[in-house]
Amino acid sequence: MIHHFQMNSLTTVEGVGNGTWRVITRYDDDLFSAELALEVKAPALDIRSARLDVKRDALNAARNLDQVAGKLLGVRVGPGMTKIVRGVVGGPQGSDRMAELVLESMEMLINAITVPEIRKAIEKAGVSLERNVGTSGIDLNDRVMGEKMVGLMSENPRLKDSCAAFRNISG
Amino acid sequence: MLDYSRCKCVGVQVQDDGYRVVSGVLEDELYAMQCEIVVNWPELTIEKIRTRMKRFTTERCLRAEDVFVKAEGWKLDSQLEGRIKKELGRHGCRHMAILMVDCCRSLARSELARELRAALEKQPDIDTKQFLDDFFSRYPGLVQYLQLQ
Repeated sequence: MIHHFQMNSLTTVEGVGNGTWRVITRYDDDLFSAELALEVKAPALDIRSARLDVKRDALNAARNLDQVAGKLLGVRVGPGMTKIVRGVVGGPQGSDRMAELVLESMEMLINAITVPEIRKAIEKAGVSLERNVGTSGIDLNDRVMGEKMVGLMSENPRLKDSCAAFRNISG
Repeated sequence: MLDYSRCKCVGVQVQDDGYRVVSGVLEDELYAMQCEIVVNWPELTIEKIRTRMKRFTTERCLRAEDVFVKAEGWKLDSQLEGRIKKELGRHGCRHMAILMVDCCRSLARSELARELRAALEKQPDIDTKQFLDDFFSRYPGLVQYLQLQ
């Protein structure tokens, strides 16, 4: 069956030296295309540069976003960022769509920073998953974090009760 | 070198005129998952949803698949996005919830795109503001999913 509509989005995170991360999110669908590029500096993880390009807008409905990128300078990736970004970029006079793009970019930076820790946890204390979920018969989850490691991680307030993995932890 | 990347793709089909089928996939370093939703049109009710956690990080992640079935019978209205994030994301999987929201937004945008194409064929210099006002008045429940601004 042929699709009547298609949406693609790609976010990439790359360390570019001196504690700086470059995060690029590209969004494309039949009606709209845009790219957001952020540079974020550790250790504060504050946004040092921001560039936003609207490449296609079939309805000419996007607001003038010239000021949006500048408003992001100094905003930090971390606790409270959702409220701050929605306040600075979104709202009735701003662009909720752009706020979502910014937040997605920031979330992916957090994921990127988390990956090495999760990899270590699985390498040191991973368990075999009994159920092979692949309909192809190819197992994509030969080792995952078990109950003990999940219990330890759930002590992190950001993770506690955040999803099925970190709910109803006993002991 | 690339440290992380997340790719999301969503496609929308029109089936038998009365249904829309939305399929989405998400892949990144940590997760791979897919979501398929059948929506009754124009009632905008989720008739069926199937999610699959393909690649994940904990042995508990699979539990999320059962949580998302709760969305069957839910309507695409102003409350849905919040319900997906709170009732499905927090009890199931936050990443799958994001993908499901993307599927709902794509469904709304696909209808707008389809009608826009048809209108432009009839009248290439269409008044887009009037077109949008007309679309919003016919489908008020979809407005928040369109994210035009």
